[in-house]
Amino acid sequence: MSTTAFLTDSTLCIGCKACEVACKEWNGIPGDGFTFTGFSYDNTAGLGHSTWRHVKFIERGSAPTGADAGYRSNTFRWDFSSDVCKHCENAGCLEACPTGSIVRTEFGGVFIQPDVCNGCGYCVVACPFGVVDRRPDDGRAFKCTFCYDRQKAGLQPACAAACPTRSIQFGEIDDLRRRAGERIEELRARGIEDAAVYDPLETSVGGTHAMFIFRGDPADYNLPASPEVPTIHLRAGWQSAAAAAGLMLAGIAFAFGSLGERRGRSGRAAR
Amino acid sequence: MPGLGTSFGRGGATTALQDLQNADAILIMGSSMAENHPVGFRWVIAARERGATIIHVDPRFSRTSAMADMWVPLRAGSDIVFLGAMVNYVLANGLAFRDYVVAYTNAATIVDERFRDPEELAGLFSGFDEHAKRYSADTWGYAGADASSMRAPQRDPTLQHPRSVFQILKRHFGRYTPEMVEDACGVPAAAFLRIADAFCRASGPDKTAAICYAVGWTQHSTGVQIIRTAAILQLLLGNVGRPGGGILALRGHASIQGSTDIPTLFDILPGYLPMPAFDEHSRTLDAYIQKNSANSGWWSNLDKYIVSLLKAWYGDAATPANEFGFGWLPRITGDHSHLGYWLDMADARRDFEGLFVMGQNPAVGAPNARLERRALANLQWLVVRDMVETETATFWLDSPEVQRGELDPSTVRTEVFFFPAAAHAEKNGCFTNTQRLLQWRDKAVDPPGDARSESWFIFHLGRRLQARAAAENNPRDRALRALTWSYANVGPHGEPDIDHVLQEINGFETRDRALVSGYTSLAADGSTACGCWIYSGVYPERGRNRARDRDASGPYGKGWGYAWPADRRILYNRASARPDGAPWSDRKKLIWWDQNARAWTGLDTPDFTRDKPPSYVAPPGASGDAALAGDAPFIMHPDGMGWIWVPSGLKDGPLPVHYEPLESPVKNALYEQQINPVADPKARADNPYADSPGDPRYPYVLTTYRLTEHHTAGGMSRTLSHLAELQPALFCEISPALAEEIGAPNGATVSIATPRGVIEARALVTPRMQPLVVQGRTIHQVGLPYHFGGRGLVRGDVANDLVAISEEPNVRIMEAKALVCSVELKRR
Amino acid sequence: MSYYDLPLLKSPVWTWEVPAYFFVGGAAGAAAVVAAAARAAGANPALVRDARWIAAAGGALSPALLISDLGRPERFLNMLRVFKMQSPMSVGAWTLVAFSNAAGASAFAATAHRALGGRLPVKVVGDAAEVVSAATGLVLSTYTGVLIGATAVPVWSRNVSLLPIHFGASGVGAAVSMLELMGHRDRALNAIAIGAAATETAVGLVLESRGDPALDPLKQGWSGSVTRAGGLLSGPIPLALRVLAGRSIAARRIAAASTIAGSLLTRIGWLAAGRSSAGSPGASPD
Ligand SMILES: Nc1nc2c(c(=O)[nH]1)N[C@H]1C(S)=C(S)[C@@H](COP(=O)(O)OP(=O)(O)OC[C@H]3O[C@@H](n4cnc5c(=O)[nH]c(N)nc54)[C@H](O)[C@@H]3O)O[C@H]1N2
Ligand SMILES: Nc1nc2c(c(=O)[nH]1)N[C@H]1C(S)=C(S)[C@@H](COP(=O)(O)OP(=O)(O)OC[C@H]3O[C@@H](n4cnc5c(=O)[nH]c(N)nc54)[C@H](O)[C@@H]3O)O[C@H]1N2
Ligand code: SF4
Ligand code: SF4
Ligand code: SF4
Ligand code: SF4
Ligand code: SF4
Ligand SMILES: [Mo]
Repeated sequence: MSTTAFLTDSTLCIGCKACEVACKEWNGIPGDGFTFTGFSYDNTAGLGHSTWRHVKFIERGSAPTGADAGYRSNTFRWDFSSDVCKHCENAGCLEACPTGSIVRTEFGGVFIQPDVCNGCGYCVVACPFGVVDRRPDDGRAFKCTFCYDRQKAGLQPACAAACPTRSIQFGEIDDLRRRAGERIEELRARGIEDAAVYDPLETSVGGTHAMFIFRGDPADYNLPASPEVPTIHLRAGWQSAAAAAGLMLAGIAFAFGSLGERRGRSGRAAR
Repeated sequence: MPGLGTSFGRGGATTALQDLQNADAILIMGSSMAENHPVGFRWVIAARERGATIIHVDPRFSRTSAMADMWVPLRAGSDIVFLGAMVNYVLANGLAFRDYVVAYTNAATIVDERFRDPEELAGLFSGFDEHAKRYSADTWGYAGADASSMRAPQRDPTLQHPRSVFQILKRHFGRYTPEMVEDACGVPAAAFLRIADAFCRASGPDKTAAICYAVGWTQHSTGVQIIRTAAILQLLLGNVGRPGGGILALRGHASIQGSTDIPTLFDILPGYLPMPAFDEHSRTLDAYIQKNSANSGWWSNLDKYIVSLLKAWYGDAATPANEFGFGWLPRITGDHSHLGYWLDMADARRDFEGLFVMGQNPAVGAPNARLERRALANLQWLVVRDMVETETATFWLDSPEVQRGELDPSTVRTEVFFFPAAAHAEKNGCFTNTQRLLQWRDKAVDPPGDARSESWFIFHLGRRLQARAAAENNPRDRALRALTWSYANVGPHGEPDIDHVLQEINGFETRDRALVSGYTSLAADGSTACGCWIYSGVYPERGRNRARDRDASGPYGKGWGYAWPADRRILYNRASARPDGAPWSDRKKLIWWDQNARAWTGLDTPDFTRDKPPSYVAPPGASGDAALAGDAPFIMHPDGMGWIWVPSGLKDGPLPVHYEPLESPVKNALYEQQINPVADPKARADNPYADSPGDPRYPYVLTTYRLTEHHTAGGMSRTLSHLAELQPALFCEISPALAEEIGAPNGATVSIATPRGVIEARALVTPRMQPLVVQGRTIHQVGLPYHFGGRGLVRGDVANDLVAISEEPNVRIMEAKALVCSVELKRR
Repeated sequence: MSYYDLPLLKSPVWTWEVPAYFFVGGAAGAAAVVAAAARAAGANPALVRDARWIAAAGGALSPALLISDLGRPERFLNMLRVFKMQSPMSVGAWTLVAFSNAAGASAFAATAHRALGGRLPVKVVGDAAEVVSAATGLVLSTYTGVLIGATAVPVWSRNVSLLPIHFGASGVGAAVSMLELMGHRDRALNAIAIGAAATETAVGLVLESRGDPALDPLKQGWSGSVTRAGGLLSGPIPLALRVLAGRSIAARRIAAASTIAGSLLTRIGWLAAGRSSAGSPGASPD
């Protein structure tokens, strides 16, 4: 059993949304609403409880003229990028989950056990990527399962299988990290200078099992530039809580001990 | 597909999708391949990643453009100017692959001296009958040879003869210059030159460039000639029959290629055999064969194919004595294309009692859908077989006409029968798709409830009709009584055994029903039967259905499915070798002559008689394939050449000419003749047109197209939440400049009008749409997907209410890709 | 460039029950501490009893609120499948269970003790329960600050060091104010309330003085108004009333009412601020 990962290479993505649909199909996800957004061709707008793969559409630049627009262009481009749960090495959702519903699988993915989740909603605010969400009518939290069921059966995830252009590559994590590096070299050599790997290794997230190659800034793709796992705040929080508790205890004890009225000494009027 | 058929010999893509990865450049034009053929597009991406230049020419910046190295917007309907200018660019700069052109095309052939070019006749070819609006092809033939005997035409290998095809071509396209492109297409000359240069530089002995197109080219009043221009360009550059070259016609529906191979069309029989007409050439089988088979080239085998077809259909009842039942075939008496029929239906002509609609949704998908929906109300009965209750099935209940009060459900007399259909995963069968590839699929699940396959329906309908014909014993039912209609029944519902149907299509010896190994085994004496000769070989022996092959490891996808003819993946591949039989270059080798084995060999099945040496010269008096030389790769053509010039077979000329769309904002910049003189606009009160050129009421160019997220008329996508949510509303794509002109912010509801109707859509304002400067004027283009209708999870107006019913002369397709409209910020 | 101004983070899905729980649990936890301190100091048994009852009532109401906010209330017990120190929600759930039982037991013991007369076991159990409830009460009224602070929501996590103190003070203020409104006039209560209000005032000053745009939801819009109102009502207003007019019972009662309202508004405001913070485009977690 190996530790697996995704490398989603946006420079190969044609925006067909096959990944998005294959995921919904495989996982039997209900409809996510019929809203016309006007955001290019993106009408599902983001990952959520009922969209576990999501394809972003970014129109950059204006007024393409001549024959100079296209995938290499710096004047006008339409970039597509398929987003997914990052399956963080240090996963905010997993750490936060009070029921132990969220677990790390043998493949390295982060998995919500649907029979355990009680819908407390804490993972929702614990994810630095805004991935997991509670489905209102169901009450439980949902996100990408990393196709745990398929991986168990020796299959690749449905989204990767559906991707016609190998934009979504699935494989062994170290292998993919290496390939990501090579791909960046290759793209740079082709004059695509702003291509970058997104795999927050330097932050407390400690890397992800869903890496991306895209052009431009993470913010363009609605991704945090330097995501942190919220557990980094625990120490400060508990220190403050301890201080608060100490103050409370001391203050209240002091108040009663030295200022308070003993029985007999004063006393409250009977009700 | 007469564009490809007349140019190369067969009406199918010349190559395989997998072969695109071998291209050095790919021009995608008239197609949004990434959106509509996303899986095949992986090979374009593969080519790009290997360094090929991907070029997209399209009115709008689509997902395909986004993946290309170069994109340039052109005015919808101006493709022939653009491509003609590429042809001119090749000729003017001496970039043609001369050895190929001289040896393998009819560039050197001398044309009839009576021929006159549109340059001389203000945009018309010689032979035009003003009154009948028809051409006679009499003056388009090769000099000294009539249409059926093209043998040994006069040729000038120096290409200098003024009446050589090459010289005519030069004159014909002389005014198709980069400046003309700028003027007519709105493409800056410099941008055009960059593209022309990139494409031509990727062609030559050790390079090849491919062209992909789809309905962005076909749905025009000049559609076939657009494809012809591409064919000419590819022949001049030597890009046909070679790996990484060719023209890939990207097909539509599942098995749409199959539906022309075994046609749902009125004018051909299976395997592109002509349908007999009600005239002296079809009075007897001999006359029919005489008229339609060629002395030389593969079509000299036509007798074998038609007789085998008749044997497949009429079995023992087909005998030499009764001309194998040839007389039982129906005869064409005029234009029976379906678009014309709708007009007759709309006129409530009595002879239209009922209609079967199976796997189609004309209330949404057909041009002038409004007219068509109203026409349905004139029927006595309507049968709809579909997986969902379509807008067509409920035209009487909730159509826009009902909503507008034009139809009253209580008075519509049409009796509608709705039959639930089994979907592709619920039945066995075969698809033939883009690359002429037969792919068998096995049933995955039983259809739900009463849903049944088409074959079940047709089979049992046929049985009932036959039973009735037998009982009534009418003379007119002789054909029906003679029909072989006895497939084994399988399953609880008596489905006909599709495996047997495929065996019948493959062909067999009538004596013992032993399957034939291929079409070369077919005979004209009734000893063989074959349902479609080009498919012969798909089932070469019992238990071996090659459409089921699933090992794609071979080159060009060989090992997966079966490509007609004879599992050739790249057609005309004799052209991949020099006349002497050696590859043009090592990099582009495909098949070659092996002198030791005295056979053609290589990476694909040779599309050539395997043991015919390069040096073969036809002896005098030879006929059929033997009449073709060892260096004549286009074996379907009587002269074995690729046809830059089409002497016969096209209704609108031997060479392409730019005409404006039937509705256009501008005058034809090249000729006095504004529109294709032989296109039929079918103009009438309920199919009206804008004034052309330049109707001030309809200032914008409108084009319609598809979205990846939906499928055609939407019955299969608007009904599924996973797809419907991805594109939940009908929108039109407009440029920021047009949005400003009409005052519509992104997302606003606008109404779009043509003389046929008015619909509402949300405005999607995007820099991907750009106004163009054409003939000094700014022209705005409006893009409109056509998937919406009144039913399903997401609904919208029907784009086809805006489109006219019209007929391109060769294939009778409507012009859905270039019309004019108005757009206003208001509700409908 | 941002992505169509869409939020990067998911907004909290919690509804009104959660701020209500923060308020109730905070006050109950503090009340348990008050009860224990008061009894240890020999304060009026009625005060002790009432404080115990506030703790017990809060301990009973809190799980109800929490459970009703769950997407799958019937699975509340899954909270007790595991104990995870790194999950404040888990720590909180266990704390609440312990607290509710202890506070309930100690209140019940106090009543039973009075009814049955001083038979030993009841009192011992009650006093032991009191110790437990006070200990867990300390956690209960402060951990909610850690709970929301240790998240990806910027306005919360930026204040993770402040929130436990803030919420603790808020709970203490509310608890003693409730006792005051129940008629208890022990000077200690006023002193504690002054301390709480002073803390709240200081917290308010700190928040107001920081210009971090991530804190805008505490100052702008509906969430800002509510948070600021909550701050005023639980900080400067009661502080002033108590310091300037502490002798007046009426003023103290007004201060108490103000503090309670302020405590509730504070929790509502902070949760609303979290929603607004997570929902604002470009908000990036830290
Ligand atoms: N997802 C999806 N795939 C499909 C289908 C579907 O509905 N959905 N339909 C299938 C079917 S039936 C078919 S026939 C094929 C069709 O496949 P395509 O031909 O690719 O389909 P369209 O989107 O109709 O048109 C293609 C392009 O032509 C452009 N175009 C419009 N006018 C002109 C013009 O005058 N010149 C040029 N050069 N380009 C023009 C349009 O902007 C559009 O980008 O797709 C098949 N595949
Ligand atoms: N304006 C405009 N109009 C166009 C085009 C355009 O580009 N622009 N494109 C044209 C083209 S290329 C095409 S192909 C047409 C398509 O137009 P239509 O053929 O009218 O539309 P579809 O939605 O493909 O209709 C197919 C129907 O078959 C049903 N179906 C699927 N499988 C089966 C089956 O196995 N059995 C049966 N009985 N039914 C089945 C589906 O549910 C669907 O309702 O539209 C044409 N119209
Ligand atoms: S991206 Fe969010 S939901 Fe996914 S593993 Fe990381 S923290 Fe959990
Ligand atoms: S909502 Fe479910 S998965 Fe998320 S933290 Fe709560 S119990 Fe765990
Ligand atoms: S891995 Fe599976 S669950 Fe996750 S996005 Fe892909 S298909 Fe969906
Ligand atoms: S399936 Fe692949 S190519 Fe299509 S949108 Fe998803 S990642 Fe992009
Ligand atoms: S639907 Fe079928 S034919 Fe069309 S792109 Fe997908 S795989 Fe190819
Ligand atoms: Mo089509």
